[in-house]
Amino acid sequence: MAEKSIPALMAPARQRDNPLTRSVAGICGMVVLAILVLACVGTLPWTLGTPAGENQARYEQGTLAGALLPPAWAPHDETEQAQLRRFAELRATEEIVRADPDAIDHPAPTEEQIRASTPRPLFGTDKLGRDLFIRCLTGGGISIGIGIAAAAISVVIGTLYGALAAYIGGRVDALLMRIVDVLYGLPYILLVVLLAVAGDAIVSEMTTKQAARQKWMEEQTVLVLQSEGQTDATRTTAREALDIRSDLQRELRDRLEQEIDAGRLPRLKPTELSPGQRKALEVGILLVAIGGVSWLTMARVVRGQVLSLKAQPFMEAARAMGVPGWRQFLLHLLPNLLGPIIVYATLTVPQAILQESFLSFLGIGVQEPLPSWGNLAADGLKELNTIKTRWWLLLFPCVLLATTLLALNFVGEGLREAFDPKRSRN
Amino acid sequence: MTTTPTATPKTEAPKVAKAANPKHAKRDESTPILRVDDLAVSFDNAKGPRIQAVDGVRMSIYPRQTLAVVGESGCGKSVTAMSALRLVPMPPGRIDRGAIHFDHQGKMIDLVKIPDPEMRKVRGGEIAMIFQEPMTSLNPVYTVGDQIVEAITLHQNVRTAEAYALAARAMTDVGIPDPESRLKAYPHQFSGGMRQRVMIAMALACEPTLLLADEPTTALDVTIQAQILELLNELQNTRQMAIMLITHDLGVVAENADVVCVMYAGRVVEYANVFELFSNPLHPYTRGLFASIPKMHGRLKRLITISQVVDNPEEFKKLPGADRGIRPWWPWHEPPKDLKPKPGPAGDYYLQEVKPDHWVGVWRTGAVEDHESRAPDLQYRVDDDPDKPTSLKPTSPAAG
Repeated sequence: MAEKSIPALMAPARQRDNPLTRSVAGICGMVVLAILVLACVGTLPWTLGTPAGENQARYEQGTLAGALLPPAWAPHDETEQAQLRRFAELRATEEIVRADPDAIDHPAPTEEQIRASTPRPLFGTDKLGRDLFIRCLTGGGISIGIGIAAAAISVVIGTLYGALAAYIGGRVDALLMRIVDVLYGLPYILLVVLLAVAGDAIVSEMTTKQAARQKWMEEQTVLVLQSEGQTDATRTTAREALDIRSDLQRELRDRLEQEIDAGRLPRLKPTELSPGQRKALEVGILLVAIGGVSWLTMARVVRGQVLSLKAQPFMEAARAMGVPGWRQFLLHLLPNLLGPIIVYATLTVPQAILQESFLSFLGIGVQEPLPSWGNLAADGLKELNTIKTRWWLLLFPCVLLATTLLALNFVGEGLREAFDPKRSRN
Repeated sequence: MTTTPTATPKTEAPKVAKAANPKHAKRDESTPILRVDDLAVSFDNAKGPRIQAVDGVRMSIYPRQTLAVVGESGCGKSVTAMSALRLVPMPPGRIDRGAIHFDHQGKMIDLVKIPDPEMRKVRGGEIAMIFQEPMTSLNPVYTVGDQIVEAITLHQNVRTAEAYALAARAMTDVGIPDPESRLKAYPHQFSGGMRQRVMIAMALACEPTLLLADEPTTALDVTIQAQILELLNELQNTRQMAIMLITHDLGVVAENADVVCVMYAGRVVEYANVFELFSNPLHPYTRGLFASIPKMHGRLKRLITISQVVDNPEEFKKLPGADRGIRPWWPWHEPPKDLKPKPGPAGDYYLQEVKPDHWVGVWRTGAVEDHESRAPDLQYRVDDDPDKPTSLKPTSPAAG
């Protein structure tokens, strides 16, 4: 039987090689990364939220009775079993009390009730009895968030810096790149520490000022209350009085303004920091610090690219066409840089996450009680001793961190492959 | 000029408006559009003295004329053209002296001195340039339509839709079929010849009065080369455009040039109309160039090289006025003893009109000093010549 053939002209279009699917590792990385990001960042509102009727956010909830329990699915030794049993009994009793608070004599919890109240922490609990799974999720959200934000900062600074240096050229280029060389020479940890300490100082100064004002308000209230005949007034009762009596509050605020104007009390910016804002500010400073030191490589890469692009005939053609300088830069140069910028941005994210974790591990990054993979790992390391090994505290944050970094690197490599101009286009 | 199917009466409007533009009014063809006067450009050299790329170049181009600038690599052809658009990178480049007078809508301006914003208007709008490398002269991240439209909107006050219609017409003008769909294509989807057509469409979209073509066909194969040159010729005649054609292909020169300017080592060594130059080359270097072209007839053991001609001292004694002591300038020779250099750079050299309408670069000897001649200025066009020779046969001094 003769084989059927068709002329080349009539052949169906060849299946196009999709550049994004060239690298299997890249696709696996992307899938893993998507799951991790969804799990960690997507659950942030829940883990950072406070359940109704409680005053602690989910990630910081825990009781000492349930401290250092291994993961529910892992083997428990005798002491751990005993502790788990005690904790379960305690919780069951609490449950009965809560159901019927007025009863004088509560029955002991039945075996069934105890089993129902046995906690099943997926990743175990830490030394304050907090659920490690929730803390890993929160920490992951914070780490990934800082990583992406810091990478974005570094991409913006690095691209503009490197591109401008190369585009202007000459002495300006030399000067700008020598600055980069000097910054390269400094240990980046030192820079981050300096920035973080400076940020901390600002935050703490603001909180001290705020505390000083609060103290003054309360002392004045005590005086007012005493003059009103309430001789046993203390600062605690004053605080309560302040909350109730708005007239007193208003009057004192006016006097506070006068005191501040007279210079006897520190001036504070109109926006006062709530604890939540303070945490956000600390994280913000951290990511600016990391982003601020990781743009150096980006600047060098972009500079090299711009130098070679600048010499391309199409840039000369643009000049010969009378395109103004800024337009050449923004519309003819930058779009050509998109490939390398995206690749390096993806590779900067894991770097930033690693730096954040490293700093948190050292204790200068994200501060307790806010978790990050770095300070969770640091906590876990402290529990790794010769007498009793609480392996889960170290294992889970590290595995999550490593998986994320690996996935990000695979994605970066995949993208590099996809944007590689040496690969054929069809 | 063919109009595109989509060119509705609305999009015809800018065409009418453009006709009123002084740039496109019937041009006085008897005054040069560009006059390069004693131009000198040098480049910084980290390890030694400055490199003098162009030194004392004089030339002129008339409307509807093609001036071919020929010479070997590094002789200053491209730098001369780039200087006219001030595209020489500075630093390291520097225009040492000289002027480039350009007829800007009836007013002569010096392109060396005008401020940058005005220069940007001239670039692309009045003087356009096409480059040797069609493969890389287009920005790979934009469609060709976007790039032509950018060229149009930079210099003409039209709306985007009109600019697209103009771009489509420009594509039709350069012989690209189905311009509407091709405008949406990216440069990598075009072949080299097509890309050079796109470059030409882009350069001509703003109807420049002068086109600087820097080896426009070097990267193309011969059939495409012929098509592109034919296209340029046609467009030149319909638009009264002047062309400075930079090339080192003497075949291209013979086919397309009206006036030829031969350069060597940054100076003009010979300047004449194309027939005069090909039939009667006077500078030994020009003769060497022609001699080195392989001939179809006769067998030679070895091909003749340029150095074979210029190394022969006899060749330097054939110039008209040689008996009066006029010697062709040649940088590798010792200057003659009766040299009377003018102070300043390139003072030992002079572009002398040795016979009517034929200039040769000579040493500034006493004999030259007595016969100061005019700057090279030829209003010659092959198409207008009633008794032009039918063929060009370069004489071969070595064979003769």
